[in-house]
Amino acid sequence: MRYGMVIDLKRCIGCYGCQISCKMENATPPGILYARVSKEEIGEFPNVRRASIPMLCMHCASPPCQEVCPSGATSQRPDGIVEIDDKKCVGCRYCMMACPYGARYYHAKVRSYFPGQGLTPYEEWGYRNHPTGVVEKCDFCQDRLAAGQEPACAASCPSHARFFGDLEDPFSEVAMLVRDRGGYQLHSQLGTDPSVYYLPS
Amino acid sequence: MPLLVDPFDKLTEDLKSTFRPQREWVDKRGLLLVTAHFLSGAGAGTWLFAWLLGLNWGLAIGWVLVAGGAVAHLLFLGKPLRFWRIVRMPQTSWISRGLLSISLFLLTALLYLLPGYFPGLPWNGDSGLGQALLVISLIATAGIFVYKGFVYAVAKAIPFWNTPLLPPLYIAYGLRGGLAVLFVASAIQGRAMDLESAKALELWMVLSTAILLLFYMGVMAGAGVTTAESIRHLVRGPASLPFYLGAVAVGLIIPVAFGIVSYFSPLTPGAMSAVALASLVGDFYIKYCVARAGIYLPVTVRFPARAH
Repeated sequence: MRYGMVIDLKRCIGCYGCQISCKMENATPPGILYARVSKEEIGEFPNVRRASIPMLCMHCASPPCQEVCPSGATSQRPDGIVEIDDKKCVGCRYCMMACPYGARYYHAKVRSYFPGQGLTPYEEWGYRNHPTGVVEKCDFCQDRLAAGQEPACAASCPSHARFFGDLEDPFSEVAMLVRDRGGYQLHSQLGTDPSVYYLPS
Repeated sequence: MPLLVDPFDKLTEDLKSTFRPQREWVDKRGLLLVTAHFLSGAGAGTWLFAWLLGLNWGLAIGWVLVAGGAVAHLLFLGKPLRFWRIVRMPQTSWISRGLLSISLFLLTALLYLLPGYFPGLPWNGDSGLGQALLVISLIATAGIFVYKGFVYAVAKAIPFWNTPLLPPLYIAYGLRGGLAVLFVASAIQGRAMDLESAKALELWMVLSTAILLLFYMGVMAGAGVTTAESIRHLVRGPASLPFYLGAVAVGLIIPVAFGIVSYFSPLTPGAMSAVALASLVGDFYIKYCVARAGIYLPVTVRFPARAH
């Protein structure tokens, strides 16, 4: 079992729905984006176009963040999900220097989405799961997985550009998409073996 | 409240840029980490050269500097009270190895020094236990020299750091910083004669670090688009002022110029301590500039363009 995600760049319309649904699901504070959409220029003149590239933690099979973590706060579950134990994290931010995907964020201090107006009841409730002084990142919505649901970003995508499943099952949708549509990983040359694949646009 | 203030501390700007700079290890509290690396490197060098030159007063200075570096390390952490957890992964993490080296050094070096201040203790520096403590402290010193460069060098996401050239550079700067501390301290104490024999060594180390730095930058300039951008950060970008002023002018040109002068006429103790002070400033700024020039690999550089 190895959870993975496939993102079809041909279907992605860059609506930021995944980013917003992730924020709603995880109640992440300002400046922390477990899922985000990067807008990139691709190609060279005159063949240049604008592309939307959804980004999240790649849940690498060989995670460089885990390798450098000095406290053992970053670990990998048997199903491939790379997680952070915020009770063990010391806030050294070494994992942020090691992650080639910019998937980790340091939560320095509690901030409201509405500066000067204090925390909203939703923020007060949500921030209980976001202690300061530690690093955070996407965990493939572990709670939703435990309840038999897809990660919020995949479930909410209006163009069904995200597919989630078991990469090790050759008959799963994700495995077949990777195989049949030429799915590729980001920075595969680094040997991190990400569990998030992209289908060419 | 002004509407144009970025509430996310440059995060928005960084995420939009192709070459995203690392900020956590250099901005705001990140300066504590740069300071920690500077102090621990200079302190380890001070301890080593004080032992080599037989300067007992220098040993205590070395210990204090490493202790200062350890405190700066702790203050940098988001959760300083959990510092003890850092030693849990020495098999994979250079930060763990670094903290173990610093802890071992602080303990053994302190025990080695104590009999000098409290003669009633059951061991002294010349006893078997004292010598064992000294040897362990020197081994830990080697660990302190080595770990800082490797902490940066194993960061796969930042090509400017991810090179085997960085550890030798940090070791060289640590060594010359240690000797520089002794020169400055000896001038303050009026004990310049203690270091008469080490003048040539300090000047030689200044020259060798200058060559190492040029070699490192030359290699990095041609090592890819991200490292070239890091070099641009240093020579024409946001890090250019501290680089030219602190690392190059004060840290290299002034000491090298004094070194050339010394070839024709011996340097006075005052001039030598000025060289040492400039070396220390350069040592700090080179660590700051290397951290400042850390730029992440562009995450989307591998996306193929559609054929038209």
